[in-house]
Amino acid sequence: MYRIETIHSKESYKVKRHTLGMPLKNFKAEIEPYLYLLPAASIFIAFTFYPFFKTIYISLFMTGPQGGLSKFIGLKNYFDLLASPDFLNSLYVTFEFVLLTVPFSIIISLVLAIFANLDIKGKSVFRTFYALPISISSASAAVIWTLLFNPSIGFINYLLSFFGIPAIGWLTDVKWGIVAVSIVTIWLNLGMNFIFLLGGLQNIPKDLYESAQIDGANVFLQHVKITIPMLSPTLFFVTVVDIINAFQQFGVINIMTQGGPVDSTNVIVYSIYRDAFFNFRFGVASAESIILFVILLILTVLQFKTGERRVFYR
Amino acid sequence: MRKSIRILIVYIVNVILAGIILFPLIYALMISLMKPEDIFQYPPKIIPTSLYLGNYVEALKSVPILRFILNSFIVSSVVTVGQIVTASLAAYAFTYYDFKGKNLIFLMFLSTMMIPGEATIIANYLTIRSLNWIDTYKALIIPNLGTALGIFLMRQFFLTIPKDYYEAAAIDGATKFQFFVKVLLPLSRPAIGSLAIYSFLMTWNQYMWPLLVTNRDEMRTVQIGISMLQMAESQSFGLIMAGVIMIIIPSLVAFIVGQKQLIEGLSAGALKG
Amino acid sequence: MIIFKRAISLMLILGLLIAAIGCSNSQKQTATASTQSTPTSSQDKVIEITFWHAMGGNLGAALNKMVENFNKTHPNIKVIAQFQGNYDEELNKLRTAQQSKSGPDIVQVYDIGTRFMVDSGWAVPVQKFIDEEKYDISKLEPNLLAYYTVENKLYSMPFNSSTPILYYNKTAFKDAGLNPDTPPKNFEEIEQYGKKLLKKDASGKVTQYGYSMAIYGWFFEQFMAKQGALYANNGNGRDARATAVVFNDEAGQNIVNWWKKLVDEGVAGNFGRGYDDTLNAFTAGRTAMFIASTASLKQVLDGVGNKFEVGTGFLPALNDSKDGGVIIGGASLWILNTRSEEYQKAAWEFIKYMVSPEQQLFWHQNTGYFPVTKAVYDMPEMKSHLEKYPQFKTAIEQLHSTPINRATQGALIGVFPEARQTVEKAIEKVLQNQATTKQALDEALKSINKAIENYNQTIGK
Repeated sequence: MYRIETIHSKESYKVKRHTLGMPLKNFKAEIEPYLYLLPAASIFIAFTFYPFFKTIYISLFMTGPQGGLSKFIGLKNYFDLLASPDFLNSLYVTFEFVLLTVPFSIIISLVLAIFANLDIKGKSVFRTFYALPISISSASAAVIWTLLFNPSIGFINYLLSFFGIPAIGWLTDVKWGIVAVSIVTIWLNLGMNFIFLLGGLQNIPKDLYESAQIDGANVFLQHVKITIPMLSPTLFFVTVVDIINAFQQFGVINIMTQGGPVDSTNVIVYSIYRDAFFNFRFGVASAESIILFVILLILTVLQFKTGERRVFYR
Repeated sequence: MRKSIRILIVYIVNVILAGIILFPLIYALMISLMKPEDIFQYPPKIIPTSLYLGNYVEALKSVPILRFILNSFIVSSVVTVGQIVTASLAAYAFTYYDFKGKNLIFLMFLSTMMIPGEATIIANYLTIRSLNWIDTYKALIIPNLGTALGIFLMRQFFLTIPKDYYEAAAIDGATKFQFFVKVLLPLSRPAIGSLAIYSFLMTWNQYMWPLLVTNRDEMRTVQIGISMLQMAESQSFGLIMAGVIMIIIPSLVAFIVGQKQLIEGLSAGALKG
Repeated sequence: MIIFKRAISLMLILGLLIAAIGCSNSQKQTATASTQSTPTSSQDKVIEITFWHAMGGNLGAALNKMVENFNKTHPNIKVIAQFQGNYDEELNKLRTAQQSKSGPDIVQVYDIGTRFMVDSGWAVPVQKFIDEEKYDISKLEPNLLAYYTVENKLYSMPFNSSTPILYYNKTAFKDAGLNPDTPPKNFEEIEQYGKKLLKKDASGKVTQYGYSMAIYGWFFEQFMAKQGALYANNGNGRDARATAVVFNDEAGQNIVNWWKKLVDEGVAGNFGRGYDDTLNAFTAGRTAMFIASTASLKQVLDGVGNKFEVGTGFLPALNDSKDGGVIIGGASLWILNTRSEEYQKAAWEFIKYMVSPEQQLFWHQNTGYFPVTKAVYDMPEMKSHLEKYPQFKTAIEQLHSTPINRATQGALIGVFPEARQTVEKAIEKVLQNQATTKQALDEALKSINKAIENYNQTIGK
């Protein structure tokens, strides 16, 4: 009874509003989209934008050993950073890390997706296996791989010794540290990339391949001519996500190398963490974060500018 | 004949690839079942000499792993639902409305993807602290409820849905909100599915934030748990691996149960661009 | 259908989890029930204090046992011990928490955090309670008092104290024709013995290194002290606040040069910065000698088991300095002023308990940290323990043969954790042929001095 009434009253309210004429309706229509944005926006404002601007503010200060702001120094933190070989090294390492992880993650997962997309018995089992790393956290992965790379009882070096490869100091040699953390990151990326790419592959109409086959194109050529362009929106998406993730990889590095040996895996995010939560120089760390943000912003804009043009939309 | 050779090659390649990808997990499982003497041998062993469950018993005694798993489960589930709600609402506004500042707001939302979490973490910590939220689920959940990637993903998907649906609904007299709930969301199940898995796993994998806002063991999540275990038991690899395996199992089960829908959902066109 | 299936499996997982938690909780409850069954004299209000520590593994287990015993015997105080990761992480966490004054009541801080803790103003010096109560500290090890006394006040109570010693594989010594009862005393002998202990397989791959040590800044600090040299100026920061580090002198270079020489000759294995990685290499028989803390003794003995015999020796010398020795390592307990005096008093009660002879005996036997109070040596249990495990004696003898002076007192620097890491990086650089010893140390010096300058400037008053 009550329920009917409320619905009824709502209806009449609606009618009333209509009779009231345009202004109120316009007002309602105007604020409506903002209401949809409100939940996401309030979270972003409270937990991303506000702290972000606070970070910019902090970056203009020298901070005391307990993290309090002690002295306004303007842009000095930024100038110091850009002149510091350690920070430039971090920038270099970060790009190195991105270049090592992103292409390999995508290429390997594309190969996996192509093989798992072939029509064979038991393909769903292989699909499950290939997507599986998605369920592994970076902390668990790092812990497992640390043991695999262990200098005295690690299995990887033992396996390599069968191929006559001398023991590699995965986590101790300055040349190999970045390779080791990259391998783990690639492994972690595989599952997510594989799922997206397989989804993309399944959207490509089979008849495209059939007509190409009739035209006499071999398998490799078919993939170059059909798969890559048809898959480009997914590839683009996966690239954007992988790059952003690579720039923000922290867990694996923190657990496996702590930025070493000799800073060879000291990516910017790790260096921020070190400066903020270890050396307690929030001013410097904040400045580093802002620089990282600017780099990511430029990269993303560039990607969208060049990517959107190249991506083949149906 | 040629065809069967090709299929054989495909199988062989698939088996090799699967072996490589699964190897670390199998290795962790094997180590977790080994006695310490077996682990510290050179050349290293891969098959345990006997089935030894002591590592699991010790790991459970060392840290409350089951409690960590429950915490992670609660936090990740709530965050997942919350992210789907906030992201689909926002994405709806971005695709079905025209309003002042639309592009600017969209860009600003997307830009949150580029703000590294480390850049905001200390200020966020202070906020949480001043709200007295340390060691609560709120602290682990609420700051994570916004997702720029989710909004982007949902918007991309909404764009692929023909406008006809909207017009048909409008003719039937549905309000915009009714259309959103009754038509658009059900149509978007594949996108929601992939966002759900993504959100769940991202939250499950969070490391630095839970480390900062939890002090008590009862509130810690699995990632903190596993690194605590590694720090506490840095010598006992078997025990650490037992902990890792126990932590992996729930997410693995969730994945295996959900993966078919996930992959099918995506193939139904979650990312047509 | 699919959704139904998914929902069921989800419920199953949740159900299993909850059941499992329920079990573990009920176990806990029965455990606490049994502790509560001990007669409680008064039903006064129980003061609950939090204690942050960095003791994992067998150390953590022993510590928890002691805390449990304390709670049993002190019905009015309940100590909640919380493991917060390794020393670095724990201190970082404390710093973050203290920004909003939400730290614990008692915190275990490592040796090199001392200057920072004093400057922070977060701590109530234990001296205050010592004076108030006329608590007798004459039985405490003088070296410990020397380390933790800052500006004539004992700020924190030493609790777990260690020094580095040489561990060696007696069985490997015998196989190499060396006398298993005479470990090398200096680096010339390390090199000499190491060459004999080095084992390679047919393909030329090293299966057993002669010697090894983790790239751990603590060892560098110890080898400075062993040479009687200062790490920082102003008497290691003990006569006045240190304004610079000075380790790029001959003594500092000497350490790195020896290190590099042994690695280059292939005698020493480099297992990286991870302390435990080198320890594991030793227990796995991949290196015949290595340097580690006395606190690892129990761990090493347990890890090696019956595989081979373990010997221990003094930290090898680099010169003939008679003023040299080892610095106290480990950590001490700090009372924080986070909460009212009532809580601080309770914290003090707990600390007194933890350094009592009985508890220190238990602690020593289960870990390898040496007792902080000399009273332990008079206990018959201690005597029989040392007879059974003579390896434990090394640390104690080494400590008692160390003269107390500025070098062996150890440096006080506000940014010591950072300095230690910078030194580690410098050593790594040299070992990886990225810089000469002099270059690397000079560079490290410059970077640390800048941090010190920064720190001294901003030190809040």
